[in-house]
Amino acid sequence: MSVNNLLENWSQFRHFHPVDDKPHDPYKWAMSIDLDACTGCNACSVACYAENNLPVVGKEKYAHGQAMHWIRIERYWDEDDREFPDQGAQFLPMMCQQCEAAPCETVCPVAATNHTADGLNSQVYNRCIGSRYCSANCPYKVRYFNWYDYPSDDNVWPAEMNQQLNPDVTVRGKGVMEKCTFCVQRLHAAKGTARSEGRIVRDGEVQTACQQACPASAISFGNLVDPESRVHKQWQAQQVALDKDVQTKDKEEGGSELRGYRIFEELRPYPSVMYLERVRESAV
Amino acid sequence: MKDIREDIAWAKINKDVLGSLENPRKLYWVILFCAFAAFGVGIGCEVYQYQTGLGVANLNNPHAWGLYISTFIFWIGMSHSGTLLSAILHLMHADWRKPIYRFAEAMTTFSLMTAGLFVMVHIGRLWQFYYSLPYPDERGIWPNFQSPLLWDAMAIFTYLSSSILFLYVGMIPDLAICRDNMHEGWRKKLYTLLSLGWEGTDRQWRNFRVTYLTIACFLIPLAVSVHSIVAADFAMSQQPGWHVTSFPPYFVAGALYSGCSGIITLFIILRYVFKFEEYMTLSILKKIVRLTFAIAMVWTYLNAVEFASVWYSSDQASKDILIQKATGTYAPFWWGMIFCGSIVPLTLAFKRAQTSIPMLFAVSLLLNLGMWLERWMIIAPTFSHGYYPWTWDHDQWPSLVQWGMVFGSFGWFTMLFMVFCKVFPSVSMYEVKEMVYHRSLHLKKSETAEQGAP
Amino acid sequence: MMNSGFDRRDFLKMLGWGGVAVALNGCGNTSVDDGKETVVSYVETNDYMIPSISTYFNSTCAQCDAGCNITGRIREGRVLKLDGNPDSAINRGKTCGLGQAGVQHHYNPDRVREPLLRKGGQGEAITWEKAYALIAEKLNGVSGEEIAFLTGGVSGHLKVLLGNYLDSFGCKNHFVYEAIAPAVLRAANKKSYGVEMPRFNINKAKVVLSFGADFLGAWVSPVHFSQQYAQFRKGVDGQRGVLIQVESKMTLTGANADRWVVVRPGTEGILALGIINALGIATGDIAAAVKGYDKARVSKETGVPPGQIDKIAALLKLRSPSLVLAGSAAEGYAHGSQNAAAINLLNQVLGNVGKTVEAAAVVPFPQMAPATGNTAALKTLNDGLNAGKYKVLFSYAANPVFTAPGAMKFKDSMAKAGFRVAFAHYLDETAMQADLVLPLDSALEDWGTQVPEYMAEGAQINIQQPLMEKLHANTRGMGDILLALIKLRHTEEYKKFDDYYAYLRTAVLQNKGALGGGVADDDTFWNETLSKGIIKPAGSSHVLSGNATAAGLSLPASAAIDAQYPLQLIPSVSASLRDGRHTNQPWLQESPDPLTTIVWDSWVEIHPKKAAELRIEEGDIVEVTGKNGSIKAQAYLFPGIHPDAISIPLGRGHEALGRYAKGYGVNPFQILDAVFDKETGELALHETRVKVSKTGQRFIVVKDEGVAGGMQMGRKIAVRVSSDKVRLSEEV
Repeated sequence: MSVNNLLENWSQFRHFHPVDDKPHDPYKWAMSIDLDACTGCNACSVACYAENNLPVVGKEKYAHGQAMHWIRIERYWDEDDREFPDQGAQFLPMMCQQCEAAPCETVCPVAATNHTADGLNSQVYNRCIGSRYCSANCPYKVRYFNWYDYPSDDNVWPAEMNQQLNPDVTVRGKGVMEKCTFCVQRLHAAKGTARSEGRIVRDGEVQTACQQACPASAISFGNLVDPESRVHKQWQAQQVALDKDVQTKDKEEGGSELRGYRIFEELRPYPSVMYLERVRESAV
Repeated sequence: MKDIREDIAWAKINKDVLGSLENPRKLYWVILFCAFAAFGVGIGCEVYQYQTGLGVANLNNPHAWGLYISTFIFWIGMSHSGTLLSAILHLMHADWRKPIYRFAEAMTTFSLMTAGLFVMVHIGRLWQFYYSLPYPDERGIWPNFQSPLLWDAMAIFTYLSSSILFLYVGMIPDLAICRDNMHEGWRKKLYTLLSLGWEGTDRQWRNFRVTYLTIACFLIPLAVSVHSIVAADFAMSQQPGWHVTSFPPYFVAGALYSGCSGIITLFIILRYVFKFEEYMTLSILKKIVRLTFAIAMVWTYLNAVEFASVWYSSDQASKDILIQKATGTYAPFWWGMIFCGSIVPLTLAFKRAQTSIPMLFAVSLLLNLGMWLERWMIIAPTFSHGYYPWTWDHDQWPSLVQWGMVFGSFGWFTMLFMVFCKVFPSVSMYEVKEMVYHRSLHLKKSETAEQGAP
Repeated sequence: MMNSGFDRRDFLKMLGWGGVAVALNGCGNTSVDDGKETVVSYVETNDYMIPSISTYFNSTCAQCDAGCNITGRIREGRVLKLDGNPDSAINRGKTCGLGQAGVQHHYNPDRVREPLLRKGGQGEAITWEKAYALIAEKLNGVSGEEIAFLTGGVSGHLKVLLGNYLDSFGCKNHFVYEAIAPAVLRAANKKSYGVEMPRFNINKAKVVLSFGADFLGAWVSPVHFSQQYAQFRKGVDGQRGVLIQVESKMTLTGANADRWVVVRPGTEGILALGIINALGIATGDIAAAVKGYDKARVSKETGVPPGQIDKIAALLKLRSPSLVLAGSAAEGYAHGSQNAAAINLLNQVLGNVGKTVEAAAVVPFPQMAPATGNTAALKTLNDGLNAGKYKVLFSYAANPVFTAPGAMKFKDSMAKAGFRVAFAHYLDETAMQADLVLPLDSALEDWGTQVPEYMAEGAQINIQQPLMEKLHANTRGMGDILLALIKLRHTEEYKKFDDYYAYLRTAVLQNKGALGGGVADDDTFWNETLSKGIIKPAGSSHVLSGNATAAGLSLPASAAIDAQYPLQLIPSVSASLRDGRHTNQPWLQESPDPLTTIVWDSWVEIHPKKAAELRIEEGDIVEVTGKNGSIKAQAYLFPGIHPDAISIPLGRGHEALGRYAKGYGVNPFQILDAVFDKETGELALHETRVKVSKTGQRFIVVKDEGVAGGMQMGRKIAVRVSSDKVRLSEEV
């Protein structure tokens, strides 16, 4: 943000719906996660540790709620007081939802978290002073703070282990906030390649680490404005629109035959992750 | 009840007040020593936290904020009554404020400074705090003007500078008295410097009055806005329990409330330590107590408004937090807040209590405890029980490092305050003289009237 | 991807420089200072290596035996990440968390770096020459009978070489021990279908009825099955597959089931027969055999309501083909083989054989086929050791001191061998008992071939190749060590092989034709093979030959409650920790257990009802006592378990292994009773009976789930929908 933004183009700078008056072009990264395919196996989470240099905090810090998993698998039970969970559990991978109207962005005092032109909610580590207001205002609580200086911790990346660190991703020091980036380093590389070839990134050309690992291929990721992309088709098939907070499915409770939804739609953060409801067999 | 004597000689006023700069009671040194010790604890905690990382405070996800922010709001709140007494009551010509406004204004300044420290202590990268200041840099990067936290920083900075100015300007005539009466030494030099060549000429008095009044007028909206902006940190966010329209007035009321009770505490201490029984009279105390009682009731009402609006709203998440506050892990603290903030002040309604010094001392401490709890109960429950049930966390408590810094902040404040009172006249000499003069004039008038009517 | 036409050896040399430069930055290696090595600038690297640009090489994941094909990302001579090889029929570009952590095995700070010789209580670093000489000396004059070679599952050329080595002194004592292998299933499958491991086509089934087979977690080939599962959920002919899981302790697969059926421990076979009975389509001796298993009896014995049995039977009848799987939970009993046979019989009755149970492809080199093993082998070894039969004991890829059931007291038995050699990556519990520890290359530094036991589609041989230069100068590949050892015996025959790489290359090229090499010249074929990382030989298929018969089936009713030890202990196998060999990989320690979300520790799962009875709350430290000792761990109230059972996960509780494993949790192997399956002799993992008592201590359980547990508090976070309310076939 600069003074110019304030004086001249404020209305463009912050959109009510970013897609209303300024459609994303040529990229809008988005995801869809099929909860009926997700088995809750945690492969995505480990892959994220491998790709994004996430520190292993150890038992004690985990106990204090200081874990750094950018993507976590949540396990829910049915809430009906049955003796046994005879319909199994429900798993939900939860990571930064890359909201279009992100509650975290407006509150950061130093503008360290911003919206990028391709629809990501970016976190600028260098700029972050660690006020943690973003985390306070995040309804999903998917922002993770560096409570300690993990690079200097003896047990996080001891000798040899540090050679595994991904050179494309910053190793974060203490006092900064971090979160899922949709593997922005991969997106950058793919966009660069595409640009040099005079085209846009093709669907499937770039995968996030979690998507790549997922044994059940429950995660799809891509460019929402590319009509050829799987994500675009999935969102369209589910009639979920990025800039609406009430989708077709919500209007027709029970009878829509759609299963795409976004979490906390009513808070209007306009998340970029669509989940597909888990299906339960009616015959048993 | 004994009020300030109308016939007290101006020379005696000078002597008494200047005496406070020389020989306070022994208790002064005890308090100062304790304050230093507490401050030392705070420093130690901060050094450890700075070196190791904020994890040692036992903050986590979701508990991103903790006692630092709670205590920050507490100290901001403390600052408000200084302004109430010195500026608002000044404009309203309430002359009873005159002997006590000086220390109240000092309290404003120092509690703001304390509050500012908590912002520093709270942030993850203290060494980069200046990113939040709107300074021009070659990359054209500005802070985010949308962030209530930035408004906060600006409001507090403005408020602090204005308060310092107000405190200083109001002190100039007294500094000149100090200059004229002080023996040789560094203090005399200091007073000479600070009194800006004050001689008490008519022109100086006229200019002084205008300046003082102007700053007072400027300060009043500022005081209200500062705490409204602090409230905006919460009210502007989306979190359940924070997203409440009534927060700004609620915060202002809370601020005045805690400030008033802070004034009662310090009033009692100063009165004893600096032998100010002549000036800080029980009749003044009674007025403050009544004011406190009134504000306590306003605060209680606004609390009730908040609860009711949450309870009858359709926002289940906020409702859950309210239930959690009253019945969950934080229930003892929440009910403690209600008790200290709404029940304890009821004692102030009794006339006997309004002038009983030991009782008022205890009550004022309880009120402040209640107000501190109030701030904590705004912060912690929302974090522990927010929108996302998976991350609910009722088991994390602030670590000793956090408590140490909260403790240290009281040391820091007391230290600054006590040093100030020893170095500068904490009772306004010239205004007490005015007050005595006006009262004696009034007295004479009525006496003449009596004599003239046989 | 690596293209053919450049020399692999050059690449490795070059990697060496990269490695040195990295080492300079990273760990203060002074070999450059000493003048032993020189630094070559990245500016002068070979043209296929550009600084900051990643290269990718294919290899095989060695984290478990499923044989997933992986692609490693290498930059500046360091392997950074492993992902699935998209050309693999097994994992199709996918990996599990365990596989992802393979790099942490490689870079692990606790790897053994030098050959260690026991001196008193300490290990003294010695040279390889000395180590080989010592082995030769110890083997001198020892007959083949007196040598025992214990390994985990081995396959491919390593197995061949090992066989040759053992043959060189006429040793027949190759014990293959896998702590948690589906040994009973293999035997039962052999009987039912004629093969040990047929192909299970989950993706073609409309109903999968799984008796404790955790195919999404740790069973056989989970990444492969997970993909099949996703297809199965999308549906065949637009009909979404239905998963019914029958077990006593909910596994990850159970958590994903449409219907999770809790069954009294050990009565899975009875339920299977009950379902056959309810189906009413069986004929002949099968009909006769299941006649007694009417709903009332089955329901009484298994605890499954009669209505449930009817529903399952009706669904199986309605939707065909289906697939019935017998998993470890059903096998882990003294009558485990009977359970598995009864369950397999269900497949026969439903006509699934040939549809969803198919013959697997076979690699045309039987000598390379995986040597599978079980605890029965370990028992034989243990008995032999106790009888003082063995003078020299070798141990590779197994950690029996940690995984043998406590009743076996393997540690004491091992001490009875004269000289104990352990080939090890870490100083694990078994290596700690060895006289000589030989440090191994990591799987990302070593050459090898592997034949997966479970063949996904066509036959395949997996290539394992170094993804980077060795991290430590003094570790050796297992193949290299065996080659060096065998050279001590057959110098002439093997002297033409400089190293195991040369051996492997020669061996592969010799069979170029059978391996699909055609007319390509040797170098081209070899480079292509390495580039692909998979050899797909023209394999034949087994023919399924078993016949449907109920002959010999006898299922005992569930045992009466033992008053002293009223609870059944179910040691659970976690997808990431398995038998505990990977516990020192911190990503896996910190990766929450999917069902309890607990990290870094062990726990005792107990049903809330039972817990209330015993006044146990979450976090209570409870003592679990069996006939063979007791362990203490935190209690976790878990609804997905039979109230008469408790469950403790395997894999933690190490006393050695490394900094991330040692001292975390408890090891339930320690208290297992020595009860064996009556037919196969495999350890009956679930047959231990225990009692639980409170110790009075309580801790806050370290887990990811918050205080709300698994509740969503009505906030619509993870939403579900009934299958008749969606049209999956119209989705993208």
